[in-house]
Amino acid sequence: MKDIIRAKCLLSSDVETLINQQIKKEAHSSAIYLSMASWCSRNGYDFSADYFFKQAEEERMHQLKFYKYVLDMGGTAISPDVTNIKIEYNSFREVFEEALDQEINVTQSIKSIAARCHKEQDYVTLEFLNWFFREQREEEYKARRAVELFDVIGEEGTGRWQIDKHVGQIKYEGEA
Amino acid sequence: MQDLIVLPSINFTEVFNTKNGAIYQSDSENCWYIDFAGKLARFDYRNLLKLKKAVYNIDIEDLLLNSTKAPDLEIIFICACDHCYVLSILEIIALKELLQGTFVMLELNHIIFDRLHRIVA
Repeated sequence: MKDIIRAKCLLSSDVETLINQQIKKEAHSSAIYLSMASWCSRNGYDFSADYFFKQAEEERMHQLKFYKYVLDMGGTAISPDVTNIKIEYNSFREVFEEALDQEINVTQSIKSIAARCHKEQDYVTLEFLNWFFREQREEEYKARRAVELFDVIGEEGTGRWQIDKHVGQIKYEGEA
Repeated sequence: MQDLIVLPSINFTEVFNTKNGAIYQSDSENCWYIDFAGKLARFDYRNLLKLKKAVYNIDIEDLLLNSTKAPDLEIIFICACDHCYVLSILEIIALKELLQGTFVMLELNHIIFDRLHRIVA
């Protein structure tokens, strides 16, 4: 008897479900960043707004990367609905703390996909995920650095104005 | 004169059966035939997965426990598929059992392929 299912799709249904959940998470992330950009822009933090617009684009790009991978491997990629996006934040600092939280969530959930792949010996997907791990290193670094600026510069006086100016300049110079 | 209709010979391999039905695989057509609820229906890869999802998503416990007066019938309709099932609770349980067994057998077949056939001696 032929192994038809394997011929049609490289992914197991569990891994496919996990990646579809990840697609939703990335879409959600992207929408949250967009909302953060809106808050920053409304409150006069224009450089931070630009930073979040860029982050929103990146998350969208990650979403598509997962999406196309599922399709290329013969699976069914599901376009997610994104709801419950918060509009208001209590403070400038809170925005960045939530952004860091967001990145940590993404890293953790990609780790759990990798754990599943290890269990199933799905080395193909593992190799695909490596790109994301490298990316998350940069994303978490940038988010953590942004929160650090609040401590290093301080929010007193023109502090927030300084922080806003420096957020856009954060770069990760780590080895590839 | 007698018309003689020659049917193409199709080789079926039985994947799994229960006393309520059976699922066969056709290697030449890359599809499955489900013999259930009085008919033999052809399902390709996509439709089989959609059927699995549809059947697995039925909350049997809820059907058994709810006290509404609606008849205990579920219509399983699959998008872009020629077949549809109208099933009672017992039939849903039977179809679910049949599908679960089938997917275990297909998984087993996959493992056997990996261990025996995909080895280059």
